[in-house]
Amino acid sequence: MNLILDKLKTIFHGKFDDILSNNNIKIFDFSKNTTNILEIKDGQKLDIDLGKANAEEKKLVKERIIDLMVQSENGAFLSADSFQKTKKIKSNLPTGEDEELLKFYKDKLKLEMYKALEASLVVRNAFKKGEEITDLKKDISKLYPTFGKNICNLVTREYFHTHFKDLYDSMIEDQDFDINLYQRKVEKIVQSLPYTVFVTRYRSYDDLSGEVRFKLEKLNKYGAGRLLLHGLGRENVSATLNLLEEYKDDKSITIQKELNPGGTIITATLIF
Amino acid sequence: MKLGNITFSKNVREDILELFGKSLDEEGFIVEKDDTSQRVLTPKGEEIHIDEWAGVVKGSEAFVKNDALSLIELAKKLE
Repeated sequence: MNLILDKLKTIFHGKFDDILSNNNIKIFDFSKNTTNILEIKDGQKLDIDLGKANAEEKKLVKERIIDLMVQSENGAFLSADSFQKTKKIKSNLPTGEDEELLKFYKDKLKLEMYKALEASLVVRNAFKKGEEITDLKKDISKLYPTFGKNICNLVTREYFHTHFKDLYDSMIEDQDFDINLYQRKVEKIVQSLPYTVFVTRYRSYDDLSGEVRFKLEKLNKYGAGRLLLHGLGRENVSATLNLLEEYKDDKSITIQKELNPGGTIITATLIF
Repeated sequence: MKLGNITFSKNVREDILELFGKSLDEEGFIVEKDDTSQRVLTPKGEEIHIDEWAGVVKGSEAFVKNDALSLIELAKKLE
């Protein structure tokens, strides 16, 4: 820190010695000041207004401070907003179990989906600490409009910690397994999240049946036209088939089923 | 890599760009000051709009974007 103050002293030749001798300065921010090139704000921030500096001073600030920091000191020179955002991301990067999870998916998901998963884990960690996550979620949705928001929600609900791992373990047992099939399946489920019912043995049949009916009514109203049922494991495949039975005579609904050869994975689409 | 304790405010972004020999084109993308048809690219080859610009990191003055994905890559390199 003193290094920067010392450099500023050599650039401004005694003009601001009173300010530059202040040992409380911890942060340096290039900004607009009201009167001088250098002004102390909030007791510990030194604002540097290059608009008030002459050409030689600007050149020296670039060479002796910014270049020194970026090149020699191996630092990042960021806008104040990006600085805070990077700090927040750094403190929420995946570690421990999350790192293991990323290792598991590294060679299984398409790169885009993998990157979105990593970012969603950062969002989840920040959310757990009660930090503001709107900005981060918005970024992920903007970069991946078809699945960004959904993957954040699925990660928060831990579907990547359990369900999609189990899905891989089940699919790999099929003789004609191909990683592209797994990638397509994950994509389909993630993209269809608002129109998906996950059939799981942790929920009663009546509860699942109610959710299917509720979502069908809602989707009918908003014209989405399809609902995905996804079941993993024999018990859930059986429950899914029973749910489909409820609609077999409904002429307004067409049912498409994808069942793996082992009968352990089902993805059914109700089209209406 | 370190985060450092030097930042710049939104209202001086163009002054900072000038220090690096850059300016903005009519659409607000960062360009080389001496060849304004040449848009500056991130290490991934993306053009950078001024509103998406996070700052500069080591590596031939690599310009980085301010979206979560770009900053995650940066954060992973920080000590």
